[in-house]
Amino acid sequence: MMGRAFRQGLGSRTFVVGLLLTALTLFGVLAGPLISPFSATEMDFIAVLTPPDMTHWLGTDSFGRDVLARVLAGGRISLFVSLCGVGIGALLGVAAGMSAAWRGGLYEAGLMAACDLLFAFPSFVLALFMMVVLGFGLQNIVIAIALAYLPIFARLSRNLTRTLMHEPFVQAARLMGQGGARILTREILPNIFSTLLVQASVGIAFGIVMEAGLSFLGLGVQPPTPSLGVILADGREYFTRGPWVLTLTGLVVSVALLGFNLLGDALRDLTDPRLRRAVGE
Amino acid sequence: MSSLLLLGLLRRSGVALLTILAGAMVVFFAMKAAPGDPALAALGENARPELVAAFRRLHKLDLPAGAQFATWITGALRGDFGRSLTLAGGVPVGQLIATRLPVTAFIGLYALALAVLVSLTIGTVAALSRGTVIDTAMTSFAVLGVSMPDFWLGYVLVFFLALNVPIFPSYGFVSPADSLPGALLSGFLPALAIAAPMAAVFSRVLRAALLDVMHRPYVQVQRSLGYSAPFVFVHTIFRNALIPYVTVVGLQVRYLLGGVVVIERVFGIPGIGSLMVDGAFGRDYPVIQACALTFLVIVLATNLLVDLVCTRLDPKARG
Repeated sequence: MMGRAFRQGLGSRTFVVGLLLTALTLFGVLAGPLISPFSATEMDFIAVLTPPDMTHWLGTDSFGRDVLARVLAGGRISLFVSLCGVGIGALLGVAAGMSAAWRGGLYEAGLMAACDLLFAFPSFVLALFMMVVLGFGLQNIVIAIALAYLPIFARLSRNLTRTLMHEPFVQAARLMGQGGARILTREILPNIFSTLLVQASVGIAFGIVMEAGLSFLGLGVQPPTPSLGVILADGREYFTRGPWVLTLTGLVVSVALLGFNLLGDALRDLTDPRLRRAVGE
Repeated sequence: MSSLLLLGLLRRSGVALLTILAGAMVVFFAMKAAPGDPALAALGENARPELVAAFRRLHKLDLPAGAQFATWITGALRGDFGRSLTLAGGVPVGQLIATRLPVTAFIGLYALALAVLVSLTIGTVAALSRGTVIDTAMTSFAVLGVSMPDFWLGYVLVFFLALNVPIFPSYGFVSPADSLPGALLSGFLPALAIAAPMAAVFSRVLRAALLDVMHRPYVQVQRSLGYSAPFVFVHTIFRNALIPYVTVVGLQVRYLLGGVVVIERVFGIPGIGSLMVDGAFGRDYPVIQACALTFLVIVLATNLLVDLVCTRLDPKARG
């Protein structure tokens, strides 16, 4: 099914552009040193705040560090944080949502009420609050992003599971005596997986923005670890003397996020539209 | 309003109140579980023991957690959220919220108004010129808007606009209470930065909703009865497309408030968001609790409002 969707996707401009940008982002993040030979942390006080040129494509910052090298290294950390956060949120959320739909009753009502409560706080406010409770730092951003995404995945997977629960193939599996856990993971999960994947690809983009926002305020990743938010916050410090640091870093981030969003959009169009209509998305 | 509708509204308000109560408990006890002693954080690690004891008595930190919660929640109902641990020798937090809420409401509504204005234009134009270059350009703008971090956009806007167009100040905020034109000018760039990603989302929803409604049978019937195209568009297509649009606008208020927090801090706007960030740095527990709860109440109140507007727009939901 994925293979057919992929072939269909190659006909869609959104899908191709999104895929290219995402691939470019992943390549840059994974193979950073191939693109910029400079170190992300090494200082060079002769080349302080040089504007972009042929050697330093994005210029240097106030310590003479190559901004491109820092953006690539920072991108790796931010993407990792976002992936882990969305991954954990998705895992726990899907487990909660699917089991809630399956068991129903008080269990479902209680779990969904808890999710509604989490969802009623603005995500960024919830993250900010968690940073105070848990302390600033990298692993706590992961938890904050996971908590923001847990209710979204829980609700989505519960609604999707409910629409499929009474389909004949699930009934058949039931009659054959399969247990609840096995039906959920073997019969239902493969059928809702693509929809969950779409949500995750949009979630990763938003997770990166959340990390950047928290670190930009000084509440997230702490310098000297370069994350995108830390680099942007650095760029703000000497914005008038070297506006390229903040401007170009943000531009690179925007292009990377554009890739994730386009890919998510295209995947949404390609995955089963009937299922989406059934949950009112 | 039918009695059925009133009953539904009452039920939803009840759920919202219960959610606020549960939210208050979560906020309060999570904060209690946070590591670190707020008294030592405020007074310094080497504070004299009798000072620490007095501080704990003043902020009721010496009571058991359950009793602390009871005092806090009953106080909160009267707008008394305790005293700040760090600001100006213990300003009442309720007073802080009361002075800063109007600023946040102003900047939030300003951003929302900009986003709605922009998206109504873009969404309608894109839907009416479906498949043309204009449509592609507008749709691309919409995806781009979602991809730009709002705080970064705010900075770039200031750099390219405030420095070239001197009517926009690059920093500082004039309170709407002092001068409304001043507030509208000084708040324009921050509001625009918050509005951009939302305008993008709203435009996409409106475009999709308009295109969906345009091909419904009831629209075709109206057209075939001889009603003019503009009439059908305004009275039927647009009105029906507004239902999903308003729902999404309401849902995005959560997202808007997140943007408000960062942007307030970046532009030095004295609202609830910057108060909460300052509180986070100072580990000022009462301030953070009150801010988080305020945001929760705003979201739930918005949800109720959206429900109400949607039932007004949708005859089927009116019962």
